[in-house]
Amino acid sequence: MRQSKLVGTLAVLPSFVIVAGFMAFPVMFAFYISFTKTNGLTYDWRGLDNYIAIFSDPIVHQVFLNNFKFLISVPLVIFSALVCSILLFEQFKGWKFFRVIFFLPNVLSVAVIGLIFRNAFGYDGAVNQFLGLFGNEPMQFFIDSNYSILIIILALVWSGFGYQSLLLLAGLTSINPAVFEAAAIDGAGWWRRLWSITLPNIRKVLGFVFIINILYTFASLFGFVFVITAGGPGYETTTIDFLVYLRAFSSNNLGSGAALAVLLFFFIGLLTLLQNRVFKLQKDD
Amino acid sequence: MSDSISSRLTPRAKWPIFIGMCLVAATIIYPLFFVVVTSLRSNVDYKRDPFGLPVDWTVTNYIELWDEYGVGRAFLNSLFVSTSAVAVILILATLAGYALAKLPVFGSKFFTATFVSVMLLPGPVLIIPIYLVLARLGIVGDYSGLILVYVATGLPFAIFFLTLTFRAIPDELLEAARVDGAGFFRTLWSIVGPMGASGIATLAVLQFLGTWNELIFALILVPDAQMRLLTPTLATIGKRFVSDQPLTSAGLFISALVPLLLLTFASKYIMRGLQVGLSR
Repeated sequence: MRQSKLVGTLAVLPSFVIVAGFMAFPVMFAFYISFTKTNGLTYDWRGLDNYIAIFSDPIVHQVFLNNFKFLISVPLVIFSALVCSILLFEQFKGWKFFRVIFFLPNVLSVAVIGLIFRNAFGYDGAVNQFLGLFGNEPMQFFIDSNYSILIIILALVWSGFGYQSLLLLAGLTSINPAVFEAAAIDGAGWWRRLWSITLPNIRKVLGFVFIINILYTFASLFGFVFVITAGGPGYETTTIDFLVYLRAFSSNNLGSGAALAVLLFFFIGLLTLLQNRVFKLQKDD
Repeated sequence: MSDSISSRLTPRAKWPIFIGMCLVAATIIYPLFFVVVTSLRSNVDYKRDPFGLPVDWTVTNYIELWDEYGVGRAFLNSLFVSTSAVAVILILATLAGYALAKLPVFGSKFFTATFVSVMLLPGPVLIIPIYLVLARLGIVGDYSGLILVYVATGLPFAIFFLTLTFRAIPDELLEAARVDGAGFFRTLWSIVGPMGASGIATLAVLQFLGTWNELIFALILVPDAQMRLLTPTLATIGKRFVSDQPLTSAGLFISALVPLLLLTFASKYIMRGLQVGLSR
């Protein structure tokens, strides 16, 4: 028994060393860096200076506000995913094929999806060409911040709704079919069943989808912003994760970028804790 | 899921749903179709009538990207890095997953807690410290550094996934193997591997897609243009040639090709992975 305990531990150890060395340690290192002024070679202890600078930095305020603007995508994605999942759940002919189609954007890189949208809304892109068919002059969508944000939101919805409708579909499939039958026998119509059985039964999956969408808007917009708008015009579409990148590789103080990353880390941690609470409730499913 | 459930809509009522879903599917398929068609025409031809079919079909965009902008090399670089990272992840995660699922391990709770707690760590938090750590080790601009980062970021989910997969293997089988005198590696090779094969395949596909599509680390950890991977190369080309849509479309299609092929031939595995992704 002791022998096999040693073998088991040795089998886990290589993975642990790599994960500890290149994920856990870097996070702690980021904490340290955030208290210093550094160019990567010398570290100058500055205490809370970086944090104070961040809280009084108007660009950071604007960028944080931008992230909240991107939250508009959350209800849009969830609503379209919900509609699709409920319709898929009717299991009409070929629904399995649709499942694969809806999943398709999810296997593509954000760079690919982002460029498809950038191209489509470019000066000689498909959208302008289409508007041109009705005699409209081509527009420069990306010099306008509202259009730029809308285009990124559109990319988010397009690439996100399919996967999430499959998550919701998994939730729907786990509802006991007897409940539906009983309701049908009691004379409840389709809409009534949707409202009183289907939706209440997937509220936990809905909660999960809600949280991952918010996490996504705060921590994973880098790719879209990078290829679609590069944060512009000005800082109008720059998100926190993109600002971390900008600060890290275009300024001479990595400490400031690290402090921003640490704040993002706590924010994400808070949301994850919230998600875990949602999941505790779900244990008995 | 039988079809006899009376609570379902009647076949007649399903028709509008089917048509609606076709429209939704078209919003996904049409942009991709547009990209493919655009990539096969000249820029002049595109500007004349973007929505029609090309007057003359041509592959010059692909040849140009391949010969002049290093997309061919980037494609091979990506293939090398992704394959290596996935291979290492599979080996390490199989070892760890099997141990955590079926063997006694010192401090197994501690290990599991570590893996779970870093699983949802957002990339932006890691870019600065990882860059500095790799710089200190002298492996920025070297594939080994990038592969190491992909392995580290991929492992937590991989171990979680395989632990769940291997737990389903009956203990009696492992016990029988032990009685027969099979050691750790022998059991792994002839029982755990074959029994968990579909789980391992699912994981391989998911991890490959993840590394193939990854942008931020590939961008910052491999600054040398000669060594660039495909996704960052595409991003750079897309930003540079804003007014040559056929050229960027060809780049898009090259980048999307491998993921689309995987989805076509391994959709069974991808869909299975989805269910587990939900349960975490």
